[in-house]
Amino acid sequence: MIEHSLGEFEELVLLMVAAHHDEAYGVLILENLEEKLGKKINISAIHVALKRMENKGFVKSRFGGITNERGGRRKKFYAITALGKRVLDNQYALRTSIYQQIPKISFS
Amino acid sequence: MKPSPPHRALKFLRWFCQEDYIEEIEGDLTEVFEKQYEQSQTKARRKFTWSVIRYFRPEFIKSFKSSSNPNTIAMFRHNFLLTFRNFKRYKSSFFINLVGLSTGLACSLLIYLWVADELRMDKFHKDDSQIFQVLENFDEATGLRTGETTSGYMAESLAADMPEVEYSVAVLTYPERKTLSVEDKNLKASGRYVGKDFFKIFSFPIVQGNPDKIWLNKNTILVSEALALKLFNTTENIIGRTIKFQHDQEFFVSGIFSTIPSNSSQQFDFLLSFEEFVADRQNYLDWGNTPANAYVKLKSGVNVDDFNGKIADYVQIKRNKKVRYRTPFLARYSDRYLYGKYENGIQSGGRIEYVKLFSIIALFILGIACINFMNLSTAKASRRTREVGIKKTIGASRKSLIHYYLGESTLMAFLSALAAVGLVLLLLPQFNEITGKHLVLNPDIELILSLLGVVLLTGLVSGSYPALYLSGFNPVVILKGKLSNAMGEVWARKGLVILQFSISVILIVSVLVVYKQIEFVQSKNLGFTKDNVIFFDREGKLEEEEHIEAFLHEVENLPGVLSASVTSHGLSGADWGVYGFEWEGKDPNDNTHFEHMTVYFDVMEILEMELRSGRTFSKDFGSEFTKVIFNEAAIEHMALKDPIGEKIKFWGMDKEIIGVVKNFHFESLHESIRPLMISFWPSKTKRFIVKIEGGKEKEVIDGLQKFYRGYNPGFALDYKFLDSEYQLQYVAEQRVATLSHYFAGLAILISCLGLFGLATFTAERRIKEIGIRKILGSSIWGIVRLLSGDFGKMVMAAVAIALPISYFIVAKWLESFAYRIDLKWWFFIGAGVMALFIAWLTVGIQTIKAARINPTECLKDE
Repeated sequence: MIEHSLGEFEELVLLMVAAHHDEAYGVLILENLEEKLGKKINISAIHVALKRMENKGFVKSRFGGITNERGGRRKKFYAITALGKRVLDNQYALRTSIYQQIPKISFS
Repeated sequence: MKPSPPHRALKFLRWFCQEDYIEEIEGDLTEVFEKQYEQSQTKARRKFTWSVIRYFRPEFIKSFKSSSNPNTIAMFRHNFLLTFRNFKRYKSSFFINLVGLSTGLACSLLIYLWVADELRMDKFHKDDSQIFQVLENFDEATGLRTGETTSGYMAESLAADMPEVEYSVAVLTYPERKTLSVEDKNLKASGRYVGKDFFKIFSFPIVQGNPDKIWLNKNTILVSEALALKLFNTTENIIGRTIKFQHDQEFFVSGIFSTIPSNSSQQFDFLLSFEEFVADRQNYLDWGNTPANAYVKLKSGVNVDDFNGKIADYVQIKRNKKVRYRTPFLARYSDRYLYGKYENGIQSGGRIEYVKLFSIIALFILGIACINFMNLSTAKASRRTREVGIKKTIGASRKSLIHYYLGESTLMAFLSALAAVGLVLLLLPQFNEITGKHLVLNPDIELILSLLGVVLLTGLVSGSYPALYLSGFNPVVILKGKLSNAMGEVWARKGLVILQFSISVILIVSVLVVYKQIEFVQSKNLGFTKDNVIFFDREGKLEEEEHIEAFLHEVENLPGVLSASVTSHGLSGADWGVYGFEWEGKDPNDNTHFEHMTVYFDVMEILEMELRSGRTFSKDFGSEFTKVIFNEAAIEHMALKDPIGEKIKFWGMDKEIIGVVKNFHFESLHESIRPLMISFWPSKTKRFIVKIEGGKEKEVIDGLQKFYRGYNPGFALDYKFLDSEYQLQYVAEQRVATLSHYFAGLAILISCLGLFGLATFTAERRIKEIGIRKILGSSIWGIVRLLSGDFGKMVMAAVAIALPISYFIVAKWLESFAYRIDLKWWFFIGAGVMALFIAWLTVGIQTIKAARINPTECLKDE
């Protein structure tokens, strides 16, 4: 199921979009991710990820209103779709189920 | 004020990024930039630019292909129609453009044909890059003199001694025009003696005969196809047949070569064997003489400069170190035609100068024609601004406007090119006559491509200004009628007119100076009289010395013949240089060549040469063999104070000086007069010289021919007039003179056409102003002054610019003559006044017409 595949970075971005439902846009995602991961990310990486996921149908977008900020350019807000949420759930379920198979080993 | 992100990066982003994404990307980038800007400005800028570059990837780049217009053909037809209507509507500017551009193009095309032909000269040989001619530098008292000939043994010897030489051949150009006979058919043809490897070096095709065997037999002759046809009426089965040479020797035809093409600098009808010729003439092989040309073919990969270094002392070694002043060197054979001139041992131009000159003239004339087109189009721009405004309002993009205007000018150029080709076809015969060439307009790929190239270039150049300028107008401004003529545009137009007229003035001055110099050459006192004198060769039984006196006696008895004699010199160029003099006080290292003229009695009287002192050769003194006459230059060179009676040695013989002749020009006026010796030596003479009565040329020559046929059967009298031979020395200059007449005339014509167009246009645009001025009481002349004042100033500026440049150019040209006219101030002023006059005349007619208009006519509407 190629269409439903989700890369690691895409997953992070998708999580962010889901976390800031309908209020997530490029710079917001960037800043939050940078804060969480503790490293610098280029904005173009976020845009590429968003674009791909939009093509796959994981997120949908809408334009905000015109303001004087940002050189007069509108913000593009993203929201997670039902499909996106399902993929995220699947991913989470998969990871959890495998994680639970780990035997109880003590790492001392 | 908010900080703005880097301008260029932003522009780049907007240029490549897809419309769908630009909003989001630019917004986010700007936001990030603004945030970072508070911390570090430079870092923020750098980051912004870097991010933009990161977006330059397939996902975001827009598709550039999709912008093409789907109805290109419809647009093309539309543009074509508009162009056509425009031509029809403004007929006068259409014709001015057509005439100007087509004559300009025709001119350039003719010059192109000529230049291409000149550049092709001698280049057709297969191993062109390996073929060289042996030249020699002679170290003389006045500097290095470069000779084209070398010792007869040079070719063979080089091939034997130098491993770099693949083939070499000696060529003697002496036979020149000789009589060949088959049965009772006699023909004069020009030929030469060549070594046996001639055809291994030069790729003149042999059409009959085995190339390896053609020189095997003694008494072998090779003839051209054309000559074979003339002699035998066929080219079949003539190998092995005999041809009588000078009614004396018999030669067997061993091969036929195809007739020498006109793009070969060597022209000949038959070839004889050099080896056979020199077998019993050892003096031709002597290292001390330089009678022959030598050509070598170097093996591929040999560096000529290294080779030249190797042979520099070759003659010295061959002559046991006795001769130190001769330095042989190789010059590429196919370069010799264009780069034939040497000054003090250094290559200094030649025909290439004329090739360059005419190429520049062609560019100039084409440039003038293009300027016309540009000027008229920019001038008309204001007339068409509304059209541009409406088109842009309706939605025409700038690009399509540029296409339209460039298309219009290219179509114009194309039409002109068609007209130009017609003109060229019409003018080619006359042009060939002037240039002495056989040019044809062959529609080969090269020509078509270059013509198309020129058309496109002309179209683009002349259409570029209106296309780029007109299309850039803001439609709102145009349609409101607020557009005032930009100063820059007016200046550009003026500058172009000034340029045009500067070129025209330069050409006028050059024509004037060339004409004056040619006139000077024609009328200069040469020190001898060249009128009514004919020459013809000594041949047949006249080769024997004892017949000369009787023959001369009979010739002098013919009616109309004033006097006759025999000499060696043609008086139109150097003929026979000799050295080996000894006189008192001579510097032993002085090896200067003296020109040597051998004569019989009366030659100096026939030519009306003047003596400075002493006497000429005379029958009253018995044998004059031991007497010589020198010219003033020779006496000066030898520094003899009282030359008459002085004894000198020449080739070991004692000679007494009996006279000094005033300097006369035995070479063209390009050369200063060199030392010359006249000696009484009938057996060494080559041609008869006959003075005939003026006005009776035809009868005398008829009589002479009749007599000669009887006297020397089988030989045709091949006579030449001395004055026309003299003119032949200036063929190149005459051609330049004739051609520059035409070109200067054309340049002026085209410039005036442009001026005329501009004047018409200005008058048209200011017609209301003229009407109002007239109502307020202005006179016609006041208006004419108003309208033409500007043009007068422009032409005056052009004259001011052109005069110093033209002075420089003509002074340089005149330098090539040792004897030349002085540049007079009125050449320049005259040319300037002429240009001004022509310009005023052109503008005047138009402005007077405009000034006479009835004010009610032009003011009644609006």
